[in-house]
Amino acid sequence: MERAALLERLTSRRAPIVWRTATVREIVPETVQGRTIVLVVPGWPGHRAGQHVDVRLTAEDGYQAQRSYSIASAPESPELSLTVVVFEDGEVSPYLVEELQVGDEFEVRGPVGGYFTWRVQDGGPLLLVAGGSGLVPLMAMLRHHAAQKSDIPARLLVSARSIDDVLYREELASLAGHDGVEVTFTLTREQPEGWTGASRRVDVEMLRAIGLSPTDHPKIFVCGPTAFVESVADRLVELGHDPASVHAERFGPTGE
Amino acid sequence: MSEDAIWLDGNAIAGLLVEVFGTELTGARRACQSCGTRALVGAHRVYRGVGTVVRCPACGDVAMRITTLPDRHLVLLAGTWEVEFPVPQA
Repeated sequence: MERAALLERLTSRRAPIVWRTATVREIVPETVQGRTIVLVVPGWPGHRAGQHVDVRLTAEDGYQAQRSYSIASAPESPELSLTVVVFEDGEVSPYLVEELQVGDEFEVRGPVGGYFTWRVQDGGPLLLVAGGSGLVPLMAMLRHHAAQKSDIPARLLVSARSIDDVLYREELASLAGHDGVEVTFTLTREQPEGWTGASRRVDVEMLRAIGLSPTDHPKIFVCGPTAFVESVADRLVELGHDPASVHAERFGPTGE
Repeated sequence: MSEDAIWLDGNAIAGLLVEVFGTELTGARRACQSCGTRALVGAHRVYRGVGTVVRCPACGDVAMRITTLPDRHLVLLAGTWEVEFPVPQA
């Protein structure tokens, strides 16, 4: 076995999932309400695209708050990136989005989640449907796809309120049209001048237009707010997709 | 708030499950004792309140309840759980 592969096997089995100190190396603004936090985590055991981490913040008086965030970076990336979009009335996300500075530290535990993950060796084609910041774990999958120079067909449908709410816009534009990757947007609340794309909620017709039918046996990943995921999953099954092929990850008020 | 806004997937408590069981459990398969549906723990429904309640995604019957006290976790399991653990290789 190759050295690197052996090392990966050993570390993935042996590295305990414990709280580790993460140091903020860089902060990248993504949208008005979201930014990417690039972390250096000594001892980080590596992750699979789609996994998440638990973040624990400790106040000076000892009060602790804990939340889960999807990993945005590809497994191949040397750093760990989280993209956080502020939730109104949230306790943790406003701090992470508005207060956190380069050099600050907090604790992370992970990677966790063995269900909503994809590796190129799992095959495809890939059908990815994102609602708002549900794009984050799906972006990790596309970044992994790119890092592995895979040509597995991948279709991404992004539903956002407006074009300014779309995370990773430029990177998505650069990925689209190459190596089997196609990206479609629907802007449900506000459309820029001259917008020719969809402007309604995800429906059967939109999912059909993406072009992967049940006979292609796509691996399907849907991530977004609970109501969005419920609706999309129902539409996919309506289209004839096998419910077992639909991987769902919901987030909601109880997740932040 | 509608009912569907308050639940998440088993994925969401992957970290808590590691803390309680010492291993990744979202890939474990569970058969419901009420309706017989077999589903991965990561695909179950999770309700969080004072404690954490995991329910069958098909019929909603309780699969697991975790209550965290200051010094310990109290765990109730229901149904049939099939869990795979990798054997450490020499």
